[in-house]
Amino acid sequence: MEKIIKEAYLKSLAQDTRRTFLKESFLGLGGLALSSLMLESCSQVKKNDIAIDPSKPLLTRPPQFAPKAKSVIYLHMAGAPSQLELFDYKPILQKYDGQDCPQELLEGKKFAFIRGVPKMLGSPAQFKQHGQSGAWVSNYLPHLSTITDEISFVKSVTTEQFNHAPAQLLMHTGSARLGRPSMGSWVTYGLGTENANLPVYVVLTSGGNNPDAGKSIWGSGFLPSVYQGVQCRSKGDPVLFIKDPTGIDRDLRKASVEAINAINHEDLKTYKDPEILSRISQYEMAFKMQVTVPEVMDISNEPEYIQNMYGTKPGKESFANNVLLARKLVEAGVRFIQVFDWGWDTHGTSADGSIDVGLENKCRETDKATTALILDLKQRGLLEDTLVVWGGEFGRTPMAENRSGLTQNWKGRDHHAEAFTMWMAGGGVKQGYTHGATDDMGYSVIDGKVDPFDIQATILNQLGFNHEEFTYEFQGRPFRLTDVAGKIIQPILA
Amino acid sequence: MISVKTNSLFTLSIVFTLIVFVTVSIYSCNSLSLFSSKISYSEQVKPIINKNCIACHGGVKKQGGFSLLFREEALVKGKSGKAGIVPGNADASVMYQRITSTDAEERMPHHKSPLSKSEINIIKNWINQGAEFELHWSYKPVEKPNIPKVEDTWIVNDIDKYILNKIQLAKLQPSPQTDPITLARRLALDLVGFNISNSEKKLFIKSPSDENYQKYIESLLNSPHFGEKWTSMWLDLARYADTKGYERDGNRKVWKYRDYLIKSFNEDKPYNLFIKEQLAGDLFKNPTEDHYVATAFHRNTMNNDEGGTSNEEFRSAAMVDRVNTTWETLMGSTFACVQCHSHPYDPFKHADYYKFMSFFNNTRDEDVVDDYPVYRHYAKEDNEKLNFTKNWLTQNVSEEEKERIIKFIYTTQPSYNSVSFDKTINADFSDTNKWFAFRSPSSTRLHNVDLTEKTTLITRISNRSPGGVLSLFQDSLKGKLIATIKLKATEKPAPWEIVEIKLQNVSSGIHDIYFKYSNHKTTDNTLTTLVIDWLYFSKDLPGINKPGFSTFKGNLISLLSTKPETTTPIFIENPNDFKRKNFVYERGNFLQKSQEVKEGIPAIFKSNTEFKNRLDLANWMTSNNNPLVARTLVNRLWEQLFGTGLVETLEDFGSQGSKPLNQELLDYLAYSFMTTNKWSIKNTLKQILTSATYRQSSIFTEEALAKDKFNVYLARGPRVRLSAEQIRDQALYIAGKLNTKMYGPPVMPFQPEGIWSSPYNGEKWLASTDGDQYRRSVYTFWKRTSPYPSMISFDGVGREVCVSRRIRTNTPLQAFVTLNDTVYVDLANKLAKRSLTLAKDKHFFAIKIAYKLATDKSISQQKFKVLQKLFVDARKRYTIKKDLTIGFENSPDLASLTLVCNSILNLDEVITKN
Repeated sequence: MEKIIKEAYLKSLAQDTRRTFLKESFLGLGGLALSSLMLESCSQVKKNDIAIDPSKPLLTRPPQFAPKAKSVIYLHMAGAPSQLELFDYKPILQKYDGQDCPQELLEGKKFAFIRGVPKMLGSPAQFKQHGQSGAWVSNYLPHLSTITDEISFVKSVTTEQFNHAPAQLLMHTGSARLGRPSMGSWVTYGLGTENANLPVYVVLTSGGNNPDAGKSIWGSGFLPSVYQGVQCRSKGDPVLFIKDPTGIDRDLRKASVEAINAINHEDLKTYKDPEILSRISQYEMAFKMQVTVPEVMDISNEPEYIQNMYGTKPGKESFANNVLLARKLVEAGVRFIQVFDWGWDTHGTSADGSIDVGLENKCRETDKATTALILDLKQRGLLEDTLVVWGGEFGRTPMAENRSGLTQNWKGRDHHAEAFTMWMAGGGVKQGYTHGATDDMGYSVIDGKVDPFDIQATILNQLGFNHEEFTYEFQGRPFRLTDVAGKIIQPILA
Repeated sequence: MISVKTNSLFTLSIVFTLIVFVTVSIYSCNSLSLFSSKISYSEQVKPIINKNCIACHGGVKKQGGFSLLFREEALVKGKSGKAGIVPGNADASVMYQRITSTDAEERMPHHKSPLSKSEINIIKNWINQGAEFELHWSYKPVEKPNIPKVEDTWIVNDIDKYILNKIQLAKLQPSPQTDPITLARRLALDLVGFNISNSEKKLFIKSPSDENYQKYIESLLNSPHFGEKWTSMWLDLARYADTKGYERDGNRKVWKYRDYLIKSFNEDKPYNLFIKEQLAGDLFKNPTEDHYVATAFHRNTMNNDEGGTSNEEFRSAAMVDRVNTTWETLMGSTFACVQCHSHPYDPFKHADYYKFMSFFNNTRDEDVVDDYPVYRHYAKEDNEKLNFTKNWLTQNVSEEEKERIIKFIYTTQPSYNSVSFDKTINADFSDTNKWFAFRSPSSTRLHNVDLTEKTTLITRISNRSPGGVLSLFQDSLKGKLIATIKLKATEKPAPWEIVEIKLQNVSSGIHDIYFKYSNHKTTDNTLTTLVIDWLYFSKDLPGINKPGFSTFKGNLISLLSTKPETTTPIFIENPNDFKRKNFVYERGNFLQKSQEVKEGIPAIFKSNTEFKNRLDLANWMTSNNNPLVARTLVNRLWEQLFGTGLVETLEDFGSQGSKPLNQELLDYLAYSFMTTNKWSIKNTLKQILTSATYRQSSIFTEEALAKDKFNVYLARGPRVRLSAEQIRDQALYIAGKLNTKMYGPPVMPFQPEGIWSSPYNGEKWLASTDGDQYRRSVYTFWKRTSPYPSMISFDGVGREVCVSRRIRTNTPLQAFVTLNDTVYVDLANKLAKRSLTLAKDKHFFAIKIAYKLATDKSISQQKFKVLQKLFVDARKRYTIKKDLTIGFENSPDLASLTLVCNSILNLDEVITKN
């Protein structure tokens, strides 16, 4: 029996990039490492559970069933973009612009900043239907308007949190409190790596600030910390400490890693501890990553027409740069990429934070690149394997904000948990489709209600996981990303 | 289902399957004794139930009205009208009928594979024997265990007998004592966290006798660095951080608590007292500063300052965290699931959770921005005023009044936080949930204040525009006027000030107080003109007719107004008039309160105590009857030394946790901990460290590789990678740069640009200079949303919630840290210089010295050749590429030696405890 398992396992090794890498490793230690890895893993194949060996936590693992998507690019507009200015067209709201909000909309509700009776606020944006699908998109997004037939819009997303940090946590970790693993960590834990020379789960931020919930939204929570997102930076080292330090060049680094590993080999002979072998291979891999990661991270070598398509400016910190980078990472086999953009919180307390000025500017900064991403993935045949998700952490009120009961100088909307729009494209979702609807004022969802757990269940499903059976034992119970909730949004699946 | 089992757990489960299997075979072979042999509920029945039945018939779901969690639930009649279990009669029990049914629709487990014959037999016999439920091992009191009768020259103390017993069962051989240099380093890393050198160590290495070993252990236990090492462990458990968490993640001052821990470990404070102070120090009689500071343990919960968040919601989240942390860190049990429903596997009921939460629910904290209540650590300059005040009180007022005023001076409690205001008109909380901001004119209400004997209100305000009148009314805005205060003109920016307001004609009993504010000089009714922080209602200040009263009062106001040296968030129990009621939250939702509950512990723990407050709880937890506290702690100590606990799941001793292979040893250690060792951590460590088990060589034998790769049987010494703190502290020490300064505010060693970027938070990482960058890792500033990067790379935890166990991983990102992080390159350079000096500038000799500084060992010929070649090759390159040597004083020699030292700091034997 053991023999058969061994044989099967040997076969699967042939496709394993990491082992291929080990075979080719520059010190020629690969062969040795290989045989030990093999023996070690054999004992684990016997179990039904995927047992994670802490010394090799990123081995490639198959999903639970054949996946529709291999990678996810999640574009999160932190601060919560206004659905009423972008996708959710409400002519009636225009009609009631400036009038007191009907009492029934306020009863028993709590808002972050609105006090007393606010006024209704019609949208300053102009709406039109676009494409064969006839999707409504406003003039704030002229580029995206041209590709609506690639997209599934979900206009009926709700959440239970109306403050940024908890709502972002809920969206990405399935809990409004800190401490749970992020979606990307779950995926990394479930699938391991496709390309051992790159981080499996990459996080890119633009706009100066981290999202409100901080690094916890790509944290690994109670999963081992190896599964957390690796934040890649456009300034400084792309990955922390990946650059050779000043005064140590590649040749010197190579010589030193060789020396380290040669001495570790001496100790392996003495102690016979397999952990030493793992350390040897980790140092070899680190040496390789030092070359591959900066290469992939460098967008300046992309041709000019691509740069123009995205509107990138290499060397600057920008959303466009990050989105182009996301495409390169997907090409290189990275599983999960989160792109966070900052500055979508349009309360109307300043020009930048308003729906008439600031929001349009944010759209101008991101619309072209977002559209380019879809088109570029498509022209490379990557869109069908890549799920692109766009959204914020909640929506915005149909009423104007009146912070502390006062009238404001710019147009703005408060946080709104009851309705907002997200969209998905590629990765097995329908093209040119709109799911769900809100009432005439855009206040509540009246059809096809979806919550963050449903979004998560759907993403996991596209990656080949049944969210109800994808669990991890912690504090005495099997935890899952979707906790006790989550339904796949079937209507948007192709 | 996918789950991570760490390796030894996995091996362990195989072992247990085997044991069960063997046991079962014995039963089946000997059919005559089948009925007479007592089935063990815990060993045999419960595993079957947990695996096959409990998901549908447990705490959460009770399909068909049948649950197997508690005996009384299993015996009642289910929906079928028949009892699931009829004790003594398997055939009449529906449970037995259903697991043996031939009808696929009827047969249990529903639509899954049937139980095996042996499993069915176990259930049958168990029911026939009376279906007794038995407490899980870890919930039974610790009893004095019998010491195994094993003899061998290898044995040093009783621990070894337990260990050897299992080693022999597995047909393995124990390992001999490791060489003195390795053993000495192992001890130093375990006890003080880095390989400290002292004369006792030298003596032991020179002459490794038992006596010298003991002396060396003593020297390490008495080192002030002992407390720092063990505090690092406790900080994860206490989820200690220097920020508050959530969106803004603003800074929090709580480092006095960290210092309290270091001192407590160093003075070997008995563990029972140690946790009593942390849980209920504020309830001690006349609590000291340390007693208060200890309670910061549970004030390390996160605090949400984000505008628009509900303070009550996040207070309630903190309560949940306190309950979970108390159970997980102190009692090794998972209680978190009981928050929403009865425990699916262990005998805890849903209401138990909220009974337990009641112990914590009457603390004064309310998720307010300033983390109130806090202990005010006054600066030295205030000593004179403090001494005068204390002396004056001693001479002039009653003991009770003295204690009240002293508590008030140090804590400003018991006070209302201004977030308690409601029914406001033209006023609001600044940034929606912070201090209370009045505009002119405006009003608000303080609900349900006990005014009995209250004649004074002392409050902290900031008056932002000259003048203004604040009036207080009883019961309604048109009610009885009880106070008016004309606010003074004030400078800009308006400082916080302490104001005393006399109350007149107040009625006794509970009343609402309405606050009305107006300022005729302000025409803009949207401008915030008065801000209120806390409000303290009381009797008049005592001793009003005594000589020196006005000086006393002046000092009091001045002390309360002054900015203390630092503060520490602490526990203060609500006095009667602030008491909250306690309820069960349906499905864990704080807005859905159901049945009211009182303080109490789960019923499975028998206790005659009448539980009233946290102190009662702390007393119960530290009594010898508590089955979990001592076991949990000795298991943690074991894990720190051996890399894996006797119970691998440090956080779960329940029926879903991993079963200890050596429960007898765990109980032996726990029992001696509570009795002969008198809750002394140092004595317990000594007991373990002197064992032959601990001193074994960690070299893998062929036999061990084949039979016990993960060292479950402990037939060899521990060999594990160092923790994040140990790796950094050790590098500092080897390089000769470790700054041994203790205590004080957190420091900021070098960190790359752009790591901190919380929204709405201007706080910056300001790299420490003047030697603070070389202090031990336990003093490194810990920001929750962005912990120090190299700590996280080496498996440090976020400290958002308590994490009992860091899972050691091995990744390339770790190699980046020790290879490339400026911190480590700097230290390699310092090590190179140090070695060069010691070697009188002879480079090859310097290599040997650097290696010896790092490992205490003389370098072997093979290893030396490797490093020598690295040095020679590097020097060639640096000589050609001179520009690479700029950072190394333009010296190819120093540059090459730095590279060699950088490699030494990365060696497996250096970052591993051998």
